[in-house]
Amino acid sequence: MSGLDDAWSVSRLARTLKDRVESEFPATWVKGELVGVKRYPSGHVYFGLRDDLAKIDCTIWRSVAARLKTPIEEGAEVFALGTPSVWEERSALRFNVVQVLPASAVGASAQNVERIKQSLLADGLLDPGRKRPLPEYPSRIAVITSVAGAVVRDIITVARRRWPAIELLVINAAVQGDNAPGELVAALETLALLDGIELCIIGRGGGAKEDLAAFNDEAVCRAIAAAPVPVISAVGHEVDVTLADLVADLRAATPSQAAEFALPERAEVARQVTMLDTRIQAALHASLTRRSERLERTRDRMASALLQRLRTAERRVLAAAGSLPASLERHVRRPRERLAALGARLEPAVTRRLIRLTATLDRDAAKLHALSPLAVLGRGYAVATDEQGHVLRRTADFKTGASFTLRVSDGTIPARREAT
Amino acid sequence: MTTEPTLGDDLKRLEEIVRRLEADDLPIEEALRIFEEGVGRLRTAKTRLADAETRVQQVLRDTAEGDGVRLEPLDG
Repeated sequence: MSGLDDAWSVSRLARTLKDRVESEFPATWVKGELVGVKRYPSGHVYFGLRDDLAKIDCTIWRSVAARLKTPIEEGAEVFALGTPSVWEERSALRFNVVQVLPASAVGASAQNVERIKQSLLADGLLDPGRKRPLPEYPSRIAVITSVAGAVVRDIITVARRRWPAIELLVINAAVQGDNAPGELVAALETLALLDGIELCIIGRGGGAKEDLAAFNDEAVCRAIAAAPVPVISAVGHEVDVTLADLVADLRAATPSQAAEFALPERAEVARQVTMLDTRIQAALHASLTRRSERLERTRDRMASALLQRLRTAERRVLAAAGSLPASLERHVRRPRERLAALGARLEPAVTRRLIRLTATLDRDAAKLHALSPLAVLGRGYAVATDEQGHVLRRTADFKTGASFTLRVSDGTIPARREAT
Repeated sequence: MTTEPTLGDDLKRLEEIVRRLEADDLPIEEALRIFEEGVGRLRTAKTRLADAETRVQQVLRDTAEGDGVRLEPLDG
């Protein structure tokens, strides 16, 4: 308890009460009956809100009164949204109202939405398994909305940025008011008459809650469920989820977001196309390379089998040449001719190898020829052999008086060693 | 109205062509044939991507012809 010395002024008490009340209470919905309604020329509206036990004075300022749709009528049962405040001059408590809804309508509407939801649930229309995937690269999509609103413009803006090559077919329908459900249903039924439609966006711009009624309408929800293409709902309300949102294949908060869900990013798809281009070229190239490698392997196996036979022939030729110097030419020539004839029938790589081999054979034959004793004798040398045919290599081999044979290039000459 | 293949059809087919070429169990004639088809579809896809026009039309119900609809350009 405070003393007399620090007694408060009345205005301090009034201000403190005002501060306390206004800081303690967030905006609150209050249900009550409207009593003592007074409209002032200034445009402000004053009334009381009461129930069986209590009453509070309320104020609706001119700016709020001008946009209120629910009539403020004596005796009406309403929901009022507002904040309590203190009028300092009289330290009087006031409830400053910013929104009023008729209690009967709100209650009935909420109950109705719940009833429709149960009915949709019972028919399986809200099953997550019913959600259809969106087309990946749509080229033609339908937009159901009011052409008077901003929805079409918003979608076009997003389309031009993300995916310009799109055709939008706009089906006009009222999105609020008594005609809205019927027009929305008719628009949804029109989808079946359009060719090549891959997706439908149904929506409206942002707005107050009571404007959402058409999107809680049972016939509209059932028409969305029956749509021949996936439907994105874009009711333009972040907080409240409508039944149309629940039954649609995808829910977007706004029409712009719906367009972003619906349309791929062109740059991304262009990258994908470039990648496919690269892959298709690489795949064909790899496929051709593999085929050509298989061909080469086959050819190589054929070539090496042939070369094996050629080497065998070569060895036989050389062996024959070594053991039969006198008939060297004939023995070398015949296999070589056969080889040449064979080579001519082979494909170029083998032929080249054959030509090399033949050249080697030619060189070897020439070498063999040079080394043959006949060729040596041709250069003016002679070979002496004794009567047994032994070659006489040194002076000691020649016994005095012994006969021997001197072989020169074209024949033999009988000879004898004279005494020295 | 639109019965020609969409970009989605083209891209799907291109994926399939690439897979078949990569699988390499095709006769060479078939490989070359689908490669050529792929090149054609790539060209179409690139043309489509280059298309920058967003067309907006309003669907109007033709009550005179029962279930008919007609399209009229709508200014975005």
